[in-house]
Amino acid sequence: MSKKEIYAVKGLSVPETPASAQEPKPWKQTQMVGKGIPRVDAYERVSGTAVYPSDVLLPDMIYGAVLRCPHPHAQVKKVDVEAASKMPGVRAVITGDTPEARVEWTYSKEARSSLFDPHCRFEGEPVAAVAAETPYQAEDALRAIRVEYDVLPFVVDERDALKENAPSVHGAGNVLKTEKYERGQVDRGFREADVVLEENYRTECQLHTPMELHGCVAKWDGDRLTLWESTQGVYAVQAEVAEVLKLPLSKVRVVGHYMGGGFGSKLKAGKYTVIAALLAKKSARPVKLFLTREETYLAVGNRPPNNMRLKAGVKKDGTLTALDFSCTGTGGAYPSGGTSLVDWLVRDLYKCPNVRTECTDIAIHTGPARPFRAPGHPQGAWVLEQMMDALAEAIKMDPVELRLKNIPNFSQGKEGNPPYSSTGLKQCLEEGAKAFQWKVARSKALAPGETGRIKRGVGMASCLWVVGGGWPPSTVILKLFPDGSLNLNMGASDIGTGTKTVMALVAAEELGIPLGKIEIEHADTGTTQYATPSGGSKTVPTEAPTVRAAAISVKQQLLEMASKELKLDAASLVFQEGSIAPAKDPSKSVKITDLSELKKRGVVVGIGYRGPNPENKAIIPFAAQFCEVEVNTKTGEVKILRFVSTNDSGRVMDRLTYDSQVIGGITMGIGLAMTEYRVLDRDQTGRMLNRNWHDYKLPTALDVPLEMTSLPVDREDSQANSVGAKGLGEPVTIPTAPAIANAVYNATGIRITETPISPERLCRLLAEKRKEG
Amino acid sequence: MLPNFSYVRPKSLDEAVRHLDSPENRIHAGGTDLLGCLRERVFGVAKIVSLSGIQELKGITETAEGGLRIGALATLREIAESPLIRSKYPVLAQGAAEAASPQLRNQGTLGGNLCQKPRCWYYRGDFHCLRKGGDLCYAMVGENAFHCILGGDACYIVHPSDTAPALVALGATVRITGAGGPRTVPVEEFFVPPTQDLTRETVLEHNEILTEILLPPPPQGLRSSYRKVRARRSWDFALAGVALALQFRGEEVAGGRVVLSGAAPIPWRSVEVEEVILGKRLDAETISAAAEAVVKNAEPLAQNDYKLPLFRAIVEEELSAIAKV
Repeated sequence: MSKKEIYAVKGLSVPETPASAQEPKPWKQTQMVGKGIPRVDAYERVSGTAVYPSDVLLPDMIYGAVLRCPHPHAQVKKVDVEAASKMPGVRAVITGDTPEARVEWTYSKEARSSLFDPHCRFEGEPVAAVAAETPYQAEDALRAIRVEYDVLPFVVDERDALKENAPSVHGAGNVLKTEKYERGQVDRGFREADVVLEENYRTECQLHTPMELHGCVAKWDGDRLTLWESTQGVYAVQAEVAEVLKLPLSKVRVVGHYMGGGFGSKLKAGKYTVIAALLAKKSARPVKLFLTREETYLAVGNRPPNNMRLKAGVKKDGTLTALDFSCTGTGGAYPSGGTSLVDWLVRDLYKCPNVRTECTDIAIHTGPARPFRAPGHPQGAWVLEQMMDALAEAIKMDPVELRLKNIPNFSQGKEGNPPYSSTGLKQCLEEGAKAFQWKVARSKALAPGETGRIKRGVGMASCLWVVGGGWPPSTVILKLFPDGSLNLNMGASDIGTGTKTVMALVAAEELGIPLGKIEIEHADTGTTQYATPSGGSKTVPTEAPTVRAAAISVKQQLLEMASKELKLDAASLVFQEGSIAPAKDPSKSVKITDLSELKKRGVVVGIGYRGPNPENKAIIPFAAQFCEVEVNTKTGEVKILRFVSTNDSGRVMDRLTYDSQVIGGITMGIGLAMTEYRVLDRDQTGRMLNRNWHDYKLPTALDVPLEMTSLPVDREDSQANSVGAKGLGEPVTIPTAPAIANAVYNATGIRITETPISPERLCRLLAEKRKEG
Repeated sequence: MLPNFSYVRPKSLDEAVRHLDSPENRIHAGGTDLLGCLRERVFGVAKIVSLSGIQELKGITETAEGGLRIGALATLREIAESPLIRSKYPVLAQGAAEAASPQLRNQGTLGGNLCQKPRCWYYRGDFHCLRKGGDLCYAMVGENAFHCILGGDACYIVHPSDTAPALVALGATVRITGAGGPRTVPVEEFFVPPTQDLTRETVLEHNEILTEILLPPPPQGLRSSYRKVRARRSWDFALAGVALALQFRGEEVAGGRVVLSGAAPIPWRSVEVEEVILGKRLDAETISAAAEAVVKNAEPLAQNDYKLPLFRAIVEEELSAIAKV
């Protein structure tokens, strides 16, 4: 094998190397980035050799389990663990009475609590925990613990929580806070409108359901704690555990190489993380503690339910004159953003001078919410995008046209009204409508004379996501070895989105190294660099420019080496397929793998830092989705026939992972629209009734259409960062539910203002409509 | 997590019956329902008696009279895919195909499908409800969108099976073996409504095993079908369903049965619909009258009145379809 084959692939040319301290220019033409390259870890994931935290097996490892409060509201009077402690295989039992376990826990800054808080404000609060030789022994021990509770009055529905005499969650009224926003003159705006519509809406609570359960393996070596945790951010877990257990950061190592999905509920450590560490300490054994699905449904978070009202005014020509939005919501028992960002699309998506919003966050006795893929946005889109559809109908305008009429080129909601670094909303709408054949499909659906019980309908919706540009800090280290292979070292987690693949592509692009020669070390606070958690659609726009910066640093160092070897000025040298040559005389090239200094040093280390985002620019991803449905107008059954999603997330970094995000986002949106909602025994016990995968209905393969088209508006955003990419993971799920609702309206004439669009709901509405004639 | 139990895998029916000497000893066929019940601690368990080693409980064969004998261990997939059942008793093949998910149909058995426990979330959950010996039916005033509109009395479960309505409609019988010897029971009489006994779903005693299902030869002019509506397109029980097994003489309905799923604590024979259509052609007027009749005696709970238009819709839809076969 020749050196050239080892180092570079023929034809894999690399971009020009900018001089030291100079900003790299956007790639002109890419060799690797933007293609559909299979994931670099696909084999490991598919074959089962990838070790996820749940797979970790350590010598002498034992199993932890948590006893949880079965009441939505109770005071723990006494916990008797005597029998449990003596059971076979039991190695540790901890409760609120255990001195080491008396640690503070913050669900949110506003409300402090403790790890085993005797005042249990939701069903599922930990009361005690055990570790035993087998999971079964741990479970048996839990059952032997006797707890005396004072069962207290509860309220588990935010619509009941403001009533007089409603039980209080934190000792006062249940309103946590009300946030108000206003611009322009809303009342005047309504007077200027030709049409004013007003409607109430509701979205139900959606439960976090990542494939891999929440949990970790905890192991102590002296005073050093190692955690293998299923997490979106190893450094976030490190910080929280260190703070709670009062350990130096350096003494907490968190590893999360592979992890089975996270949609916001794994952005931080859980109580389970600290409990595992305490059990491991007490038993002097490594402890594996993974929750059951039932426990995660109770305790690790959800998308808050929201009750919303929107009044909107529009002129006959489609100009929006005023939007007046209000909502209530609940993040459960501790302040957790029950109304967070729900009003953002109303504030920011469409051009409108007069906007007023008011959001009231309410406390109830349920598990705290956590960020859930595009917090607040799908709820707000459910409202705004159905309202846009209704306004369009009222002024006899095509819904796509109405949206096109109201595209802003700066952020109206953000302070200082920064312009967008790029906005592809127009392209999303136009190209999506074209690919979907919107006009044809719509006229077919609206065609009169349809008498059968099966009716077709089409609908669409668009969106933006509040933040899509990533942000500092991040550090990435690249190590180039003398054989031309490369180690990529970054702290960020790949939560299943393909982060590792995209970063390998960036390094390959910049250095001309084939993917097979790149190995990635990531998500380990002991061995990789600081990174913030993978959430907020920030990982690609944060890490990819950092990888590129590190690669450029490697190249610059190689140029310096070659400069010495060739006795030529580094500035006169260029990279060429694994070699460095004088720009003017390519025949005098030296292969990188032949560089004597590289051989001597054994490695070239390139460090990349994430620089700041451009000032006064809003880096925002946009999207539009179109769908067609078939409705049985007697039974209310809805079949989703096809979806087209157009996304402006800047440059497409990898087409396969890009399309996977789109398909996954639509699927999750279908869950919100059609099947998913938490059911609580509201009036009797306050307990959750559908805490399993049969009763909490995620969409199955048959609930999503075969035909899902991802159509990127593939334009680099050269102002955003050096790779030109914006975030994608969240906008893909925002417009899905209202697009379906609009399609169902198109088919039936029924506006479904509350999720889910189930046969239960739609059959009832269809029957009422027939009765009214 | 499962509770502790011992496990036996007898080779013969007699041996299996001998192991069923306590109500805490549970029969394991496909296990798709049993394991869930054990994990949820719906009932206690001491010993699991697996039927998987008993060959005579398997297979689908034609009887001398032209009917069918289906071993209780025949899987739902075998039922759904059997050319014999698909051609002679489509309602049963469709019922089996509509149940659960592909994985569950590979594992779940027809016998188990008839003996499964109710899916009421109070019954399955950590609630000491009436059916589990408590003194309160939580569904009565609680979350009852998925509960019954017919036949409820103190307890408001719906029977979860998609195959049972088909078998009742076809006039099938089940063979049962126990310590007292074998007996044969019409499927229609196999299920126990809450009006009779709140604490059991079938006539099966704890020491009895359902061994086979017998289908009579298809009568002249038999047309049959099963229609199911559910909240999710796979792995979901019926919100409403209707099994038809009707004998046509020319265009006239000469006999047969109409049985509902998702309606009542047992597979619910809709005598009201049968009365409307018997001796009639299925014209628009008859079908419309039948659709009204199906919920004539229904008593919906606070959250499940959508089942009234839903049952009307599927009865109308299915009668219209079967008239055109």
